[in-house]
Amino acid sequence: MRAKTLIIGIGNRFRGDDALGCILADRLQTLSSSSVEVITHSGEPASLIDLWQEKACVILVDAVSSRAKAGTIHHIDLQAQGLPDDFRSYSTHAFGIAEAVELARVLYKLPPKTIFYGVEGKSFGANEELSPEMTAALEDVTIRIKQEIKEAANA
Amino acid sequence: MSENGKTKTIKVDYLARVEGEGAMYLKIHDGKLEDVHLKIFEPPRFFEGLLRGRKFTEAPDITARICGICPVAYQMSAVHAMENAFGVTVDGPLRELRRFLYCGEWISSHTLHIYMLHAPDFMGYESAVHMAKDYPEEVERGLQLKKAGGEIMSFIGGREIHPVNVRVGGFYKVPSKQEMKEFRPKIEKARDHALETVKWASKLNFPDFEQDYTFVSLHHPDEYPMSNGRIVSNKGLDITAKEYDNHFEEIHVERSNALHCVMKENSQSYHVGPLARYALNFDQLPASVQNVAKEVGLGKVERNPFRSILVRSIEVLYACEEALRIIDNYQEPDVPFIEMEPKAATGYAATEAPRGFLYHRYEVDEKGDIVDADIIPPTSQNQKMIEDDLWKFVPQYLDQSDEKLQWHAEQAIRNYDPCISCATHFLKLDIKRS
Repeated sequence: MRAKTLIIGIGNRFRGDDALGCILADRLQTLSSSSVEVITHSGEPASLIDLWQEKACVILVDAVSSRAKAGTIHHIDLQAQGLPDDFRSYSTHAFGIAEAVELARVLYKLPPKTIFYGVEGKSFGANEELSPEMTAALEDVTIRIKQEIKEAANA
Repeated sequence: MSENGKTKTIKVDYLARVEGEGAMYLKIHDGKLEDVHLKIFEPPRFFEGLLRGRKFTEAPDITARICGICPVAYQMSAVHAMENAFGVTVDGPLRELRRFLYCGEWISSHTLHIYMLHAPDFMGYESAVHMAKDYPEEVERGLQLKKAGGEIMSFIGGREIHPVNVRVGGFYKVPSKQEMKEFRPKIEKARDHALETVKWASKLNFPDFEQDYTFVSLHHPDEYPMSNGRIVSNKGLDITAKEYDNHFEEIHVERSNALHCVMKENSQSYHVGPLARYALNFDQLPASVQNVAKEVGLGKVERNPFRSILVRSIEVLYACEEALRIIDNYQEPDVPFIEMEPKAATGYAATEAPRGFLYHRYEVDEKGDIVDADIIPPTSQNQKMIEDDLWKFVPQYLDQSDEKLQWHAEQAIRNYDPCISCATHFLKLDIKRS
């Protein structure tokens, strides 16, 4: 049976605060079960769309750079709205997560519940550690996603 | 955009639908194009420096990180260069598996560009998302085809982005004959999608623009080139990868982090990528693919860069056919990789990334530590070519609105599927002390 809830930690482990999604996914692995799947992902859009097929709930977690205060947690219900333009500029590739979300929406492939957690990064340098602000936010996001998983299980 | 007297400047600070980040600058004075350049402002890549002091065995994994779109190309150029240094030839099923992996990358990367980045130009849409509203079946087909390429990369490479199963000498783990056989239906379906893609792309409207390009690509007498062959051109060049530095040079452009490549003999630009491969290797395509090319109106040589989307689709079809051939002939190798002893040497290799050939040179010491590395990606090689195209293509649209002019210029840039992330690997140090 395919898990109905999918947690996707997006990022690059070797680029400072961009590692947030990967580290969070590592932490949440203990919650993996027949109904919950936790993975890391680079953010490549075509495979993202494919991954979330037939899921009831998908939670994407990524570091963002939108000029907000470092450590700020952005919670976006993607069924209700798209990703803000400010979140697009950090991507090094022309076709990224925002495009994947919008393409999935147009093609009716967006899961019924799709949530994006974007955490404002401070530094994305090669081989850097998570910034203190990101480390603090990681704790909060972990708690909030655990709660999301509980709610999805009861839905 | 600014107007000063009769001078108009069009600056596009972020080029959309280009891999990486770049900017374009056009200066028009008295109705004439006065200046053109691409500006690269993504932070420079430090990979060549990063490689120094690392083990030769680490090169494929480190260089795979340079690009999320074409990691296999970096891995293949790295392993071939190391094997060249140590005098080892990897042949038989391991060579075939490498080719199979490369097919996956060509399918995935080309399809991304065809459907998500370039087709909207021809269809008159701002983006693939906008196009998908009116053409959901076509975009869905693109996603399915791209997925098939990604599945090959995951199957052979261990994962789609930055594969982890490639090593100098071969692979860490190889598939069984049965596993290859079970994979076949996915590629059969992809081949159908690829054929539909060729037919669909052939119906797009292409601007009338042909150039007398110097095409440069690998050439192998027995196969359409991916990882093996000599570097040849349609103007008489025929060299090994070792001789690359004798015939090509990189020039640092002040306004850009990237290096512009030119041919040493005339300091002129040259064209790498699908059009070059196709023109120099048409006879190496299987008859079935040649026939499809002819049916959709392609000759043996295509000089209109806007029709590169069609040639790309032909290469996707070829990659599917080639993947099926490899599956059908596959015999599991006795060992997954060939062991090799390092020695002090320099190795050279060029392989065909989706965007054009990718040159690597490594100097290693007697312990196998990398002393020096040189990586020249296809987008560096094409950058001056892109500017040259703009000089010739843009003037016919100078009387159009700035918005339309920008559209045409961006479309011309996207003909090359430029991966600017890969191209910016030049470090200029400017140290001021006070």
